[in-house]
Amino acid sequence: MTLEGFPQTVSLRDGTPVTVRPLAAADAKALLAFYRSLPEEDRLYLKDDVTDPGWLQRFVTLVGSGELVSLIAERDGRVVAEATLYRALRGWSTHVGEIRVSVAPALRRDGLGTSLARELVKVATRIGVEKMVIEVVENQTGARKMFRKLGFRQEAVLRDHVKDINGAKRNLILASTDVSHIWEAMEALVADFSPSAE
Amino acid sequence: MHKSEIRVGGLGGQGVILCGMIIGKAASIFDGKHATLIQAFGPEARGSACSAQVTVADEAIGYPYVKNPDILIVMSPDAYTQFAPQVAPGGMLLYESDLIKVDDKLPKGVRAFGVPATRFAEELGRRLVLNIVMTGFFAGVTGLLSYESVEQAVKSSVPKGTEDLNLRAFHKGYEYGREQSAGKN
Repeated sequence: MTLEGFPQTVSLRDGTPVTVRPLAAADAKALLAFYRSLPEEDRLYLKDDVTDPGWLQRFVTLVGSGELVSLIAERDGRVVAEATLYRALRGWSTHVGEIRVSVAPALRRDGLGTSLARELVKVATRIGVEKMVIEVVENQTGARKMFRKLGFRQEAVLRDHVKDINGAKRNLILASTDVSHIWEAMEALVADFSPSAE
Repeated sequence: MHKSEIRVGGLGGQGVILCGMIIGKAASIFDGKHATLIQAFGPEARGSACSAQVTVADEAIGYPYVKNPDILIVMSPDAYTQFAPQVAPGGMLLYESDLIKVDDKLPKGVRAFGVPATRFAEELGRRLVLNIVMTGFFAGVTGLLSYESVEQAVKSSVPKGTEDLNLRAFHKGYEYGREQSAGKN
């Protein structure tokens, strides 16, 4: 899938420019280096072993096939953040997309994660996703705040679903946002009906 | 007074009226011109013939109805069949090239420019924006209104959250229109 409108330059809160663009196969090594640079505790909250070259191979293949959409943020030639839109191409939830965002610790709270997530929401609505979901651990307050700002609302809590690096059990929060209404408004606008017929 | 009479024709659900409204809005609000809009609907919300008549002028417009358009924009074969014979001598036809075949109904001397607007819209991700591709194509081919004014009109006319794709659709149609126009001039 070709994503138009990239690369983009995003300015962080301190004015530092960061380039955002879709992941290419040639970025695999840089992405692996980024994930390996994350603190172990951060990686524990990710669903996959992102330091495994085998995972990376599968990930890049799925991005190439269009099943996943991955955006990376680069600064000084290094990957500093990655965001993925997961979408089932078959089955009963093809209208649902899941977003996952990882940002280098030094660049958190600078608006980079929000920019990446916002771009993925735009991509998702463009390709027909109607509902978007995220999973966050209850103590990931920054991520929860960011997604709340983007319109995500808590839908379910899975009690003691996650064990952190110290073995403490934590609740997993499922949040979602319905983006179908955005295009319903456009459909109504192009319906070409007579206003007097309403 | 310089005046351009435009008719937009197609089927309900293709965004014919919105296309006409954006052209009028671009002219009157963002380009400092005068514009009028007349809308004609079929009995059903979708699938029936509908059209818009837009007049753009640099002075106040006394008569808003369009009988022989200088520019005809058509998105369906029926609209082409109905309106093509009425295009003014020396006028211009802008048509959806995957749906419409230009034939001898079009008066001689009328310049015809086609765009696969539906295909472009689908490639962008939503068939729904074919009318915006068509609006961009109109702006690119005719040069009647500035790029910025039509872009502003698109942006301010579509629902919040859909601006990004609609502006891409506009840009796609505009660039294609520029290319087609340059190729024929």
